[in-house]
Order: sequence, then structure tokens, then C-alpha cells
Amino acid sequence: MRRRLGPGFWIAACWILLVLAGALLADLLPIARYDETLAGPPRSGPSADHPFGTDGLGRDVFSRVVHGSRVSLGVGIGAVLLGLAIGGPLGILAGYRRRATDAIIMAFNDVALAFPSLVFALAVVAFAGASLRNVLIVLGVLGVPAWTRLIRGATLSFADREFVLAARVLGVRDSRILWREIMPNVAVPAASYAFIGMAVVVVAEGSLAFLGLSVQAPTPTWGGLINEGRTLMDDAPHVVLAPSLVMFLTVLSFNLVGDRLRALTDVRHSGLEPVRQAPPAAPAAPVHAVGDSLLQVEDLRTHFVTERGLVKAVDGVSFTLERGRTLAIVGESGSGKSMLIRSILGLLPGSGVDRSGNVYLDGDDLTRRTPEEMRHILGPRLGTVFQDPMTALNPVRTIGAQLAEPLRVHLGMNRKQAREEAARLLAQVGIPDPGRMLGRYPHQLSGGMRQRVTIAMALSCGPDVLFADEPTTALDVTIQDQVLRLLHRLREERHMAVVLVSHDLAVVREWADEVIVMYAGKVVERGPTAEIFGRTRMPYTEALLQAAPRLTDPAHHRLRVIPGRPPDLVDLPSGCAFQPRCAHARDRCVTEAPELLEDGHLYACWYPTGSPISEGAESRGR
Amino acid sequence: MAGSGNAHLRPRDQVLLQVEDLVVEFPAGRGRTVRAVSGVSFDLARGETLGIVGESGCGKSSTARALVQLPPPRGGSVRLDDVELTTLRGEALRRTRRRLQMIFQDPISSLNPRRRVRDIVSEGTRVWGAGGDRVDEVLEAVGLDPATAAVRRPHEFSGGQCQRISIARALVLEPEVVICDEPVSALDVSVQAQILGLLEDLKERYRLTLVFIAHDLAVVKNVSDRILVMYLGKMCELAASTELIERPAHPYTRALLASIPGSGLDLPPADRLIKGEPPSPVDPPSGCRFRTRCPRAASRCAEEEPEIRPLTGGHWVACHFPETA
Ligand SMILES: Nc1ncnc2c1ncn2[C@@H]1O[C@H](COP(=O)(O)OP(=O)(O)OP(=O)(O)O)[C@@H](O)[C@H]1O
Ligand code: SF4
Ligand code: SF4
Ligand SMILES: [Mg+2]
Repeated sequence: MRRRLGPGFWIAACWILLVLAGALLADLLPIARYDETLAGPPRSGPSADHPFGTDGLGRDVFSRVVHGSRVSLGVGIGAVLLGLAIGGPLGILAGYRRRATDAIIMAFNDVALAFPSLVFALAVVAFAGASLRNVLIVLGVLGVPAWTRLIRGATLSFADREFVLAARVLGVRDSRILWREIMPNVAVPAASYAFIGMAVVVVAEGSLAFLGLSVQAPTPTWGGLINEGRTLMDDAPHVVLAPSLVMFLTVLSFNLVGDRLRALTDVRHSGLEPVRQAPPAAPAAPVHAVGDSLLQVEDLRTHFVTERGLVKAVDGVSFTLERGRTLAIVGESGSGKSMLIRSILGLLPGSGVDRSGNVYLDGDDLTRRTPEEMRHILGPRLGTVFQDPMTALNPVRTIGAQLAEPLRVHLGMNRKQAREEAARLLAQVGIPDPGRMLGRYPHQLSGGMRQRVTIAMALSCGPDVLFADEPTTALDVTIQDQVLRLLHRLREERHMAVVLVSHDLAVVREWADEVIVMYAGKVVERGPTAEIFGRTRMPYTEALLQAAPRLTDPAHHRLRVIPGRPPDLVDLPSGCAFQPRCAHARDRCVTEAPELLEDGHLYACWYPTGSPISEGAESRGR
Repeated sequence: MAGSGNAHLRPRDQVLLQVEDLVVEFPAGRGRTVRAVSGVSFDLARGETLGIVGESGCGKSSTARALVQLPPPRGGSVRLDDVELTTLRGEALRRTRRRLQMIFQDPISSLNPRRRVRDIVSEGTRVWGAGGDRVDEVLEAVGLDPATAAVRRPHEFSGGQCQRISIARALVLEPEVVICDEPVSALDVSVQAQILGLLEDLKERYRLTLVFIAHDLAVVKNVSDRILVMYLGKMCELAASTELIERPAHPYTRALLASIPGSGLDLPPADRLIKGEPPSPVDPPSGCRFRTRCPRAASRCAEEEPEIRPLTGGHWVACHFPETA
């Protein structure tokens, strides 16, 4: 993870270390004493002897800035540690114990947070006397509420995680759970906040010093130096600029370090993020005829250049699809099903990805369209439904507003027409009382209802092809049945084509006319549903079919196990990508990748299985 | 479904775990509560696997967590041998915990990302100061190589391997009962088959008693001796796995089975067996909770909650008008 911190982080960290070293070693450095008057001619600019020049009394500004960092950093680090020492345990207690403990701590905390803190600091210091200790204590205590809230939030988010439950089930004591399970996870956000907190404290101390309410002269502080230099602005601006610049850089560095540390906790990098544009995947000119199919995909490839290597997420996929038919794309997680859909629709991440091949909609090549032109094709001609309906719905707008928008934009309806049409669409997807539903927000609906709404949205402009990526995976089985029936009915009524992505072979078998089986970005078997399931040729498809438990199998039936796991796309096996897991593999499979062969249907295998397997269920009435 | 009653429980001396009238409640805002589990009872003989199925929100996970007393249920009893768990507190509860372990759905978030696999798996043994030598054994038993796996951290493993690590952690204390809450739902078919096979092996090897919770009936049938079907916090039907699948008597069980694509069972299409959406658990229907979606519902179903009652040979159903062949 270290490589992710970036050069900015290291420069900032070095600056902080430099300032810290200066503060610690100030007395040992070969520089003038900070209070030695007439160390040089008064108000002289930077020179070799006095790198930051001298002030009105001829004191060395560099020395004063270095000594001033002692107060700034001392207060910064001290106050943050003090705040953490009090706020940390309170936050952990509130987040882990919950209930009354949490309520009491947070009630106090909210009141404290609402306090005008700087005013409070001014008052206390003015009253108790301006000394290093008082400033440190006041700024430290003022930081407590923020610390409590931060640590509580982090604790809460981990206290519910299954690994904490698992520890409790093991009989681990609370103190040990806090120490071993929660603390290490809270430490990173805490460290990040500590740096940002230091920046805040350094600024606050500077402000107090500027007002003369921090450590008193003759001890120099950054804020005090800026204050002193104010009167010399005209003829010796360096007296103000030097401490200002050092303070600015220090605050910036603290923020930067804190920020980068926080970024560490946000994402877990897999090394598979695209880093730059991939070279064209297949330079050869396309040699294929463009037929009059509704949708024709030719040799589509989508490659990512990542830190770990080239990822061929989609690698040479071709198919055609006609109106009134459903094509299913099936495969295990990471086989490239979703990427294939996004590639067809041109919805790919902006950089580090290269797409080649052609997608024809009614003979019109979509890969030549600009993003602007695609906007008028997505929606009106190509509809999409995704696994998580919440990604397609805006949580703060009503269902009615969201449904009406495409109708008004693409079909030019007025407000009233759009509203009527929206209600009609909702009724069509089986939503009871559509008129009332228009005024609801997405979170007020169940998962199944939301998915119906996204289907209604996808259908609103009458698309020719509906792409549904795992539309029912997040739904209960009884609701899944309803939604799949609905898709099927709508396909019939509207004479559209449907591309259905699923990892569930049973769903595919029941609802698709044609099937594409994907493995490691490639099509390994393709054909009519009855062929694929009735005369399976590719060993992977066969293994998948036998690995899925079926209701008609006896209890405790041993499922066929496919050894190993899907391949790492940056490090594919040689020859056939399935070869390390394949029971039929022979030497040729290691040396030569099989092409798609036609024999009844298409399959990519040197030694296909011949036996028609699996009787299974006939399709039931729809 | 709404079923209550305890007629289906077996004599106490024949079972290892007995759960009676379990009630789990959660605050639902504005001073209201949801009964996530409302009077559920079941028992497990030693070495038996009980499957619990139902749709999201029917109270499966709440039941699982109530069994391990996280949090302790609002009402009812959970008895392991002759130890009543619901009244145990503090140290006494902690001591019994090791007999009852749990495996969770999300393989990734079940493991602390900042600890090494060996530390994760050996945590139980460190707490109890015994069995440290079992760590390698259980890692091997779940199909991981202790030498290479133990020093790595969870994010270096795939979902299936993470689930193996969770299983190893649960087994290291030699528990008697293991509660598996959707242990394969997040996994691919090929990996799912591996984990299901593994659970069967481990069950035999360590003489485990399993509660296996899932929403996928085919998966549940594959590993279970008996299956309990739940709906909206209530019991619907309980029977031996094959009996339940081949002769479902409760209207909801029939709807669930008919909804499974390519089930291969002789049932009418699902849209004739169930309609509409599940009602809000905050305000469940009176009488039988399934009546708002049930094609057989009659006026009696709204007035009277069905008690669980026997059909033939260990088949129990909570319905006024069950389907009987
Ligand atoms: N932005 C990206 N940069 C690099 N690789 C990516 C990117 N997005 C996806 N991939 C890789 O492409 C491959 C195919 O991913 P895709 O999402 O299409 O799989 P899928 O078949 O839809 O899987 P699932 O069933 O989990 O949805 C994966 O190995 C993934 O890691
Ligand atoms: S080509 Fe060889 S390794 Fe690949 S599926 Fe066919 S038999 Fe198996
Ligand atoms: S028939 Fe009546 S009691 Fe039985 S499930 Fe339907 S509504 Fe409930
Ligand atoms: Mg996908």
C-alpha cells in the first residue's frame, strides 16, 4: 500500500520532520541566539549570515523562526495527544457500549461541539494567563469533542462487522476485542485525523499568539513573530513573510499527510485499476459482413492496462440478436459478463481502457458514435437495468420526477403527458396504485418494487434492446420469479430483444432463447438454450451444471467440485484458460488455445464432452 | 404462516439443542418495535443438520444470532443439553460460548483485515489457553496450507478461501453446534460446491451438529436432514428434507418451490401460488401472516393464527388449510 502514498506525501512528511528536527535541535544549531540583539544590521534582508534577514532589533529571523517552531509544534502535538487521550477512550466507549453510555457521552459531546471554541479559548487564556501550558490545555480540551465523535464513528462502523461478532462468539473478552479487533482498524483514521488536527491547532495557536494571548515574549512563536513584524511591513517585509511561509508550509504538510493517510483507508487497491491507455488490441481491419440483425457484435475486446499487467476483460466476443429473443450471458464472477455489456453500450471508465471490435444496431456501427451521440441512443434505443436498483435511482427525487425526465428529454412530452405516461408505465410493470407511487421516494419502496421502477425507466422510451445485468440477483426468489415473468411479458408485448446477464444457470435455462457461456473474458460456448443444456460440449459448462445443487437431487448428494478457482486475468494459463481445472485436459490444451468450433452450436474445446447430460426440467408454462 | 406452538418438539433427552418460543425484537423508530422472530421453536439431535429457509427479512439471521445470545432474545428459551443460555450472563455465558460457534455470510467482513490468518484462527485458543496445536490441523482440514496461508492477511485470499478461514476459526475450539448463516450465498457456484462438500466432511470428522441457514432451497436441501421454513418471523413448515421438497403442504413452501427456475417439481406456476409483496414486519397481518399473499386464504385465516400440527411421519405444518396429497 505504501506505493499509493505518492510523492506529495513524502515531501510533506520530510518537511514536517525537518521542522521537528529544527525544533528539537534549535539550541545546538550553529545559528545566532534568538534574543541576541544586533546580531546583524537591523532590518536587513536575507543574506548568507542571516538567511531570513534580521528584524527591527537586528535579531536573526531564521533563529527566531526555528525557536518559534518549538512552541507551535509543541502545542500542536501536545494538544492533539491530549485531545486523543481524552476523546479516544470516550469515543470507543460510546461506539462499543452503545445505548445509555453512548447517549450520555454524545449528549455532552454535542453541547460541547456547539460551543464557540475560539472565543472560549480566548476567554480562558486571557483569564488564566498566557502560558505554554495553558494554551496547550485549552486547545487540547477543545479538540476532545471532535475526537470523541471521530473515534465513536470509526468504532461503530467496526463494532457491527462480522469479525467482531465472531470474536464475541468465540468468548473473547470485551477488552481484548477492543484492543485486538477494533483498535487496529480505528488507528489509521485516527492517525490521519491527528495530522489534520495538528494543522488546526498550529493555526489556532498562531492566532492566539498574534493576539498576544499565547506564550509571552521574549520566547518567540510564529504568531508572535508575524505580529511583531506587522509594523515593518513596508521596509522589511521578510520579517513577516518568513514565519508566515514556514507556518503555511507546515500547516499544508500536516493536512497533506493526514489526507493521504485517510485515502489509504478508503479503498483497498487491488492493483487492477487502469493506469494508462492500452495499445489497440486487434489492429487488423475487420473482416465481417454486416447483416440486417437488430444487434450484431463483432470481435469485441475490452482491455485494461493495470499496474499488475494487461487485463483482457472481454476478449473477442461476437454474436447476433434478433427482435423478440432473449440472449443470456452466463459465467462466474469476474468472467467479464458486466464488462461485455458495458463495452457494448460504450459505458467504460474513461482512461486506461481500450475497446476494439464493432457493435451494430440495425447496421449502424455504435463504436463510431461520439459520447454525445450515444446519449441519444442509450435510453431511446438501448435500455438498461442493473443489479442494484438504487444505483439507477436518485434517492432524493420522486419516482414520478425520475420517470418523467427521459420522457420529456427524449420524447419531448410536456409535464402532464409525461406524468400520465409514467403512471401507465408503472401500471405496466405491475405496480399497484401507480398514481400514488409517483410521489414516493426510492427508499420508501421494497427491493422488488424498486427493480420494477428501474425496469419501467428502462422501458420508458421504447428501447429496441433491453440490457439487464443480474436484474434479480438482489431479490428474493418469489420476487425474482415475478420480475423475470415481467421481463418476458414486456419483451413479447413490445417486440424487443433482451440481453440477460446472470450467474444462475437455472434462470438462464428457463428464460433465455440463446446462451453465451463466458470464461476469463472469452466465449467458451454459444448456442440455442436447448442445445447448450441438452448437448453440452464444453467441459466448463458441464462442470458448472453439475456443481449447482438441484431440488431433485437427494439430500446429502455430493456435488461435482470444480477444483481451483477462476483464473487471475493478468496471469492466464497458457492454451485453454480452463485447462488447470479441466478433467479432460491433455497436452494440446496447454500449448494451443482452442477456437470456437461449430458443431450444432459453437464451443471452444479440443476434447469436448459428447454425452448429452442432465435431463432436468422442461420449461414450465409462462 | 403464522405458526406458533411446540407440538413438534422432541423429548428433551433426545436433543442437543432446543429452542422454544423464541422472540427477537428490534426498535423500529418512533417508539415502535419489530418482532423479527415471533415464537419460533425447533430442536436438533446430536449430529443432525437443520436447514432454515425463508426470504429476506423473515428472521433467519435474527434467529441465528439469538442462538448465540448476540443479543440475547427478548423471550423464549435456548437450551444446550441442560444449560439454559438465555439466562446466563457475563462469565458463565462466555464459558458456554465455545460450545456454539457461528459462520457468517460475508466472507470478507468476517475477517479482521488487519490481522494475519494465523492470529485470526488461533484467537479462540489464545482466549481459552488451550488447543494452540489445533490451528494447523484445522487449517489443513479446511483445505488451506498452514505454512503459506497462516502469515498472510485476509485481502490476499478469494471469497471462498476467506470462508474456509472463517470455518477454521469456528472449529478450532471444538464446538458441538455450528450455526452457518448463509455461508455460501456470496460465493460462485463452483466455490459453493467446494464449501458445501467441505462442511459435510467436517461435520463427519468433528461430529458437528449444524444449523444451516440460507435462502436457496436447493442448497439447504443438499446439506440438511430436516428443513424449517419461516415467513415473517413465524414457522410455516418443518419436515425431513426430501419429504418437504416432494410433498410441500404449506402454501408458502409451495410458492417458494414453484418460484425456483427449473425446479423440476410438479407444481403450478408460481404466479398462481403467491401474489404481491411481503407486508411490513412492523405491522404484520392478523391471524396467519401469509394470508395477504396466500391463494387459499379464507376468513378463518385472518381471525385465528394457525398452530403447528402434525401431518404424517415427522411432517409438521402451521396452516388451516394445508395442501395434502
Ligand atoms: N476498471 C477496471 N480496470 C481493470 N480491470 C477491470 C475493471 N473493471 C473490471 N475489470 C476486470 O474485468 C473482469 C471482468 O469483470 P466483470 O465485472 O465484467 O465480471 P462479471 O462477469 O460481471 O462478474 P460478476 O458476476 O461478479 O458481476 C474482472 O476480472 C475485473 O477484475
Ligand atoms: S480445451 Fe482442453 S482444457 Fe480446455 S476445456 Fe477442452 S479439454 Fe478442457
Ligand atoms: S391457508 Fe390460511 S392459514 Fe394457510 S397459509 Fe394460507 S392464509 Fe395461512
Ligand atoms: Mg457483473
